[in-house]
Amino acid sequence: MSNDKFKYRVEIQQMMFVSGETGEPSAETTGIIEEIVRGQVIEMLQQCTNLASRRGSRSISTDDLIFLIRHDKAKVSRLRTYLSWKDVRKTAKDNDPSGGAGAPDPADLLDDAAAGIAGGTGPVQMRQKKAKIGLPWEVASFFSEQVPEREEDEDEDEVEANAATLQRLKNADERTRGMTRDEYVHWSECRQASFTFRKGKRFREWAGFGTVTDAKPNDDIVDILGFLTFEIVQTLTEEALKVKELEDQVLLESREKSKKRKREKFLFHAEEGRTPIEPRHVEEAFRRLQVPKPKSRAMRNFSGGVVKSKLTLV
Amino acid sequence: MSNNNLLPASWSRQPSTRDDVTVLAERTRTNSIETGVEGGDKDDVVDPTIAAFRQRYDIFEKRIAMMFDTRRPCCAPPDMEFAALELNDDFSSANVNASGNSAADNARPPVRKIDDDDYDFEDDEDEEDTKAKAPPFLPLKSASSLSQSSEPSSGNIIDAKKSAVATREKLEADRKAAEEAVKRALPSMFFTLENDRDAMLEQQKLEESDRQVNAEANAAQANALGKLSSANLGASSLTLKHLIARIDAKREKVVVSDMELRNLMSEVRKNRSKWANEDKIGQEDLYEAAEKVVLELRALTEHSTAFLNKVNKRDAPDYTTIIKHPMDLGTVMKKLKGHHYKSKNDFVDDLNLIWQNCLTYNAEPSHYLRKHAKAMQKATQNLIPLIPDIVIRDRAEVELEEAGALEVDAEGESDDEPIMSTRGRKAPGTKKTRKGARLEGTPEVKAPVVNLLRADSNPPGNDSQVSVGINGFPTPSGSTPIPNGLVHSISQMDIDHDRVDDDTHDVEYQTWKTLTKKARAKVASERHKLFRGNRLNPEEPALLRSRDDMGRFLRNEEKHAKSTQDADDSSMQQGSGNTKLVDTEQPDVQELLPDYYDPLAAVPELPSGVSWYGEGDEVDLQDDNLRIAPRGIFTQPKSELSKRMDANIKQMQETRKLCSKIGVIKQMQVQTQMYSNQFTKYDPKEFVEADVEDFVISEEGPIMCATVARAALQKSVGKIFYHAGFEEFQPTAIDAVTDIAVDYFQKLSKTLTVYQEAPQHERKFEPEFLKMLTWLQEMLLHALYENGADVESLDTYIKDDIERLGSKLNGIHQRMKIHLTELLRPALQDVGGDGSRMFNDGSEQFVGGDFAEDIGDDFFGFKELGLDKEFGLSSLSVPLHLLQGRMHSTYQTQNTSAVALADGYKPPPPFEPVTHELLEREIGLVKNFFLAKLHAGGGEPLVEDEDLPVKQRLPKPRLPPSGKILAPRKRPMHGQGGNSKKKKKPNPPAPPPPKAAPPPSKSMAMDRSLSKISEVDGDGNGGMMSPESLVGGGG
Repeated sequence: MSNDKFKYRVEIQQMMFVSGETGEPSAETTGIIEEIVRGQVIEMLQQCTNLASRRGSRSISTDDLIFLIRHDKAKVSRLRTYLSWKDVRKTAKDNDPSGGAGAPDPADLLDDAAAGIAGGTGPVQMRQKKAKIGLPWEVASFFSEQVPEREEDEDEDEVEANAATLQRLKNADERTRGMTRDEYVHWSECRQASFTFRKGKRFREWAGFGTVTDAKPNDDIVDILGFLTFEIVQTLTEEALKVKELEDQVLLESREKSKKRKREKFLFHAEEGRTPIEPRHVEEAFRRLQVPKPKSRAMRNFSGGVVKSKLTLV
Repeated sequence: MSNNNLLPASWSRQPSTRDDVTVLAERTRTNSIETGVEGGDKDDVVDPTIAAFRQRYDIFEKRIAMMFDTRRPCCAPPDMEFAALELNDDFSSANVNASGNSAADNARPPVRKIDDDDYDFEDDEDEEDTKAKAPPFLPLKSASSLSQSSEPSSGNIIDAKKSAVATREKLEADRKAAEEAVKRALPSMFFTLENDRDAMLEQQKLEESDRQVNAEANAAQANALGKLSSANLGASSLTLKHLIARIDAKREKVVVSDMELRNLMSEVRKNRSKWANEDKIGQEDLYEAAEKVVLELRALTEHSTAFLNKVNKRDAPDYTTIIKHPMDLGTVMKKLKGHHYKSKNDFVDDLNLIWQNCLTYNAEPSHYLRKHAKAMQKATQNLIPLIPDIVIRDRAEVELEEAGALEVDAEGESDDEPIMSTRGRKAPGTKKTRKGARLEGTPEVKAPVVNLLRADSNPPGNDSQVSVGINGFPTPSGSTPIPNGLVHSISQMDIDHDRVDDDTHDVEYQTWKTLTKKARAKVASERHKLFRGNRLNPEEPALLRSRDDMGRFLRNEEKHAKSTQDADDSSMQQGSGNTKLVDTEQPDVQELLPDYYDPLAAVPELPSGVSWYGEGDEVDLQDDNLRIAPRGIFTQPKSELSKRMDANIKQMQETRKLCSKIGVIKQMQVQTQMYSNQFTKYDPKEFVEADVEDFVISEEGPIMCATVARAALQKSVGKIFYHAGFEEFQPTAIDAVTDIAVDYFQKLSKTLTVYQEAPQHERKFEPEFLKMLTWLQEMLLHALYENGADVESLDTYIKDDIERLGSKLNGIHQRMKIHLTELLRPALQDVGGDGSRMFNDGSEQFVGGDFAEDIGDDFFGFKELGLDKEFGLSSLSVPLHLLQGRMHSTYQTQNTSAVALADGYKPPPPFEPVTHELLEREIGLVKNFFLAKLHAGGGEPLVEDEDLPVKQRLPKPRLPPSGKILAPRKRPMHGQGGNSKKKKKPNPPAPPPPKAAPPPSKSMAMDRSLSKISEVDGDGNGGMMSPESLVGGGG
């Protein structure tokens, strides 16, 4: 039983740290987050299987996964850059096995992708241009012939989709501004935390690949899932922080009203004094994220009946 | 007043032509009993706000008619000139009355009749009514004043009598005038049906009480039924008495029914009422009047119902303890019939007892019965003066008194005279004058009275055509069998006393109510009979139209048409023409009831556009009736969005054209040979949204056609699909999406309706004109939100999916073009300055004239690529195969070079061409073959296969992927490009590639070479035969 909770505790803690949590989250908190992530992964795999079977293919493809998150354009673009960098990484590694291309951090890729930094890849001549992963619903797929890739990239929607990413970068930047070297090293290590990086087998077991899906998914899928799980933890943490802030505000007001001169245990002047996220915050955050949008509810208007609500992908 | 801004300023001010202003102004008077309806008298008393209200009321009344559109010529809509409305509300009373009086100056607005099946609403604007209506109300007031003034003068007998007579006359005249007025005003009034049920119930009570009274009276006479003599026929003359006695004696011999006998008798005794009794003088008069009074009191059904019958023990258990002498109208009637009253005072006392009892018992001041009792009291006071103050005395006494004073012979003259002469007199001494006066007075008064009672003495069985008579005296039809459904007790509670009667001041309405009460009650009870409990009674006879009703309806129509045609002649003549269909007469009653009381008789009106009003056989079709529907209802309207979408779609088509060209070129690169018809040209036409054919409509409102609408939606969905990149759609897919779209829009509109009908909360601080806008806006936003859309996301959609798509498409188009030119470049590079290099390829096609079909247009788009000038192409069309050849060769060189590089192999040295000299060294088997070939070629060395132009080359057979040659191939191997179709002869095998030479291939090659030799095929030499076979064969 204790194993259940602790499979990914360290990783989750690191991810939460990167996402803005300063305190030390308890085991219960991380346990809840782990469960939530697991549920989401299973849900994703199930939906992918459905899509694949509708397509007529037996195995899941990366396009299915990306299709699930198609509405969140920022995420999609981050994901694509991540994948393309992965490609570059791979070829760089192959070409220069001995070369100084220590595997660049996936975390770097995750966040720096927008900036287009060639994060420490191999030699110049090997720097192939990022192979842009083509999505089946892109404009280029309208036509039977494929045009050769252009060097000049980054059309408008890329720029826009990066707005959210840039915001995150900005936050991270502010956070790390005052760090010492050691701290920053610690920070960058935490940024590498991933569910799947080099833990493919464990992840597959944990996510129930064999049970949920029929076929054995390939590495790309696992990588994408790793990316998505990181995103889930990040979103959850940010939302939970918001909830906690509100709660603290309310407590503060009520305490001010009652005019108790207690020691200011819970006031957060300094970052160190911040209390960690509690499970209830996480629960509330999750609930908020699961509220169905009017768009999904719209077609159910004017018709009664019992509604079975599915898990919304965070 | 804050209502000013509600009226648009464009309305013209049309003063009322009805008498409402004057009448209503009269009503606003507080306490004056002026007689005269002139203009200026009431100025000081009129409340200005009320007057202004009334003014607006009248204006609105007229405007109501505008809401009902009809185009019948008799009710053509008036030309309402919407001049500026001048409702100046300075409350100088001159304005108020000036408006009323300027009615006469205005032109007569036309009359409008709207005839639905349900109600008939006519805005009657005739001027005559103005004048006609004014007087009736006048006498009413004067009558009341007179009746009031008659009270104090009761002491003076003569005057009282005179005034009583005069009053009575006046009253009746007034009532008659009132009725006439109501009748005339009837079409302009609309009556709700809420009073009918009460009328019906009260009528039933009346009938019940009458029945009881009659039953008791009959019971008393039960023994003497057969005797005519006991029937009160008022036979005073002895002769008649003897006759009656005789008939009685031989009753069975008289073959006449009782009823008929009675009729005969009463006809004889024309001027006798049932109360006439020779023995009691004065009985007739007194009882006449008394009965009349009782009936009249009864007739005030609003108030009298409580007093019709004895008080029920169930209703009031302790009644008898409080009231020692109970009395009710039924008892009074009984007493009348039983001749209990000897004088007026007796009678009056009894009546007052009733009211007094009520007031005593119901002592609480707010009791509802007190109200009724007081009303009845008041009515009684009004009616009492009409009763002659007679004391009944025996005839014997009177005759004794009058013995000798009479000259009239009781015997000789007609029966009437002596009777009349010996009518009771009130007091001695004034006989003569009184007699004269009485004689004069009586006939006038009597005539209507007797007529009334004539109806009374009708046999009870004839109750259907009872005329209402004056003042709505209901004539109780005593023996009406009670319908089964009405047996249940009608208690006081059934009649709704609590209903507030708002119209107590509306004299017209009250008059009409009284006039038509009997008729309405009858209609209501007939309708009630149709039900059994809460359901329809299937046993009842069916409802059918009747001739009489239809006739009446037609007559009304005629009347209306006539009255509008010649407005001067507003007489109510019976129309000719259509009414010839109906012969019978109509009772007056039904004419007072509006049309909607009898739906079976009405015929709905045709819409004016389709009815014939012209002369002759021609139908005057109005132009705006049948018309062709405007176009564009079922297509997308032109807008920014549609422009952009169309541009995107066009762009896609262009790009697809380019793609097809690129595809062709790529094919050419790979194929060895090509045929001119191999590729279908991609030539998409521009999309044009087709509209429906012309169709004709005749009504207003949106075009409702489900299938066409769905098809139009499907078209739009298809357009969106194309815009999203799909070229073709499966029918199931597009149907599914269309259904979803239909569902979504239905839900959206339902949501919108819900919000529209929801009550809105108060918004206090917004100006009027903004309220509407913001309300609409909020409604829309809410409805959109509930359905998952919001303005922002719609905006994003437009930006992303349409505009950005457009730019992306443009980008792709450009890149495609560049790609195409790059692909074509190698083909065009070798052309050279004047196209001379086209011949480099050893193209015998030019020489041989073996051209491909001339492709007329610029297939490869050289012109638009701008290459024609660059390369100096004289003709833009390149023979297909030339191009293909070039593409192919360049492609092959490119690729083979790559392949060659990759493999690192060098091609083997070419074979030497076969010549005569070399032939000698060959084996004998092939010598002849080659000799023949050389001969055919004219001694030239034979051309090697590799040097031949592509088209003439036979395709080299290739090994299948497994490397094994499985079976001898009779059919030619498929080269690259499907040449096999044109080649009918089996192709000789190709030599195996340099690298591979597995043993089985040898045998294969042997086979093939053998087969090849057997056929005279062509050029083959070393290129076609395996070296091994040659060597092996040659030895």
